[in-house]
Amino acid sequence: MMAGVLPQIDLMRCILCGRCVQACPTQAVEMLANGPTIVRPDACTYCTACEAICPVGAITCTFEIVWK
Amino acid sequence: MDDYLRNSLSTMPLFAGLSEATLGRLSRVAFRRTYAPGMLILLEGAPCESVFFIVTGAVRVYRLSPQGRQQILATLGPGQGFNTAPPFLPEGRTPASVEAIGETTVLAIRQEDFVALARTCADFSWAILQDFAAHLLHLTDLVEDLALRSVRGRLARFLLEQADGAYVTRPWTQDEIAAHLGTVRDVVGRALRSLADAGLLRMERGRIVLLDREGLEAEAGA
Repeated sequence: MMAGVLPQIDLMRCILCGRCVQACPTQAVEMLANGPTIVRPDACTYCTACEAICPVGAITCTFEIVWK
Repeated sequence: MDDYLRNSLSTMPLFAGLSEATLGRLSRVAFRRTYAPGMLILLEGAPCESVFFIVTGAVRVYRLSPQGRQQILATLGPGQGFNTAPPFLPEGRTPASVEAIGETTVLAIRQEDFVALARTCADFSWAILQDFAAHLLHLTDLVEDLALRSVRGRLARFLLEQADGAYVTRPWTQDEIAAHLGTVRDVVGRALRSLADAGLLRMERGRIVLLDREGLEAEAGA
């Protein structure tokens, strides 16, 4: 099971194009009535494909940079 | 006199050496502004009206290419100033756009008040010179990075600076890292994977974990 951090989706910015749903390799994102939603957070691998494909920058996957 | 302004000014390392008289003059002409995350504070090329010093939060200073590619020139945090150069030039214009990263409170000083202070208060001029020197050294490092280092080397240096807390530290997206390094997201992704393959870092969920300081420093110096 994956822990914690998930891609953040800004629904105010989202244009409902559905590209993130198509790009997700694990089908963790689905298009619901209010917009794309990570319906299976355990399946999300934080691969950042949804962030990369979003044409309006509505999805962000941030990384802290830390020492081991 | 606004106690908030005076307290904010006196706690900034940049202004730590100012006399009481200069702090008093400064707090009479400074005014406070707060910006929401993502709000544009300054637009490149606009006439210079004010200079700014950050009280809380952080800003991104950047230029855009005609193709829309962003080059981040600096990420600034509390105590640091921006747009301080144009007032010293005839018809100086804002040299770069500035955007609030999180909610950011700044002290602003109108250009004419700023110049009057610099002309008449030697301790204030000295503080501004120190700020100029820091900006100049940072930009010199940036030119060296862009001109002489590979993306992989620039990335290694950036990661070391962030993990060591050299500048404003916060979580980054790969797009933001690309804008800092003067490249595009795909190239950053490939460089991260190659550094991970070399055993220098590990990509985790929401974290880039650095593993090998010597190896990363060797990459950064290459």
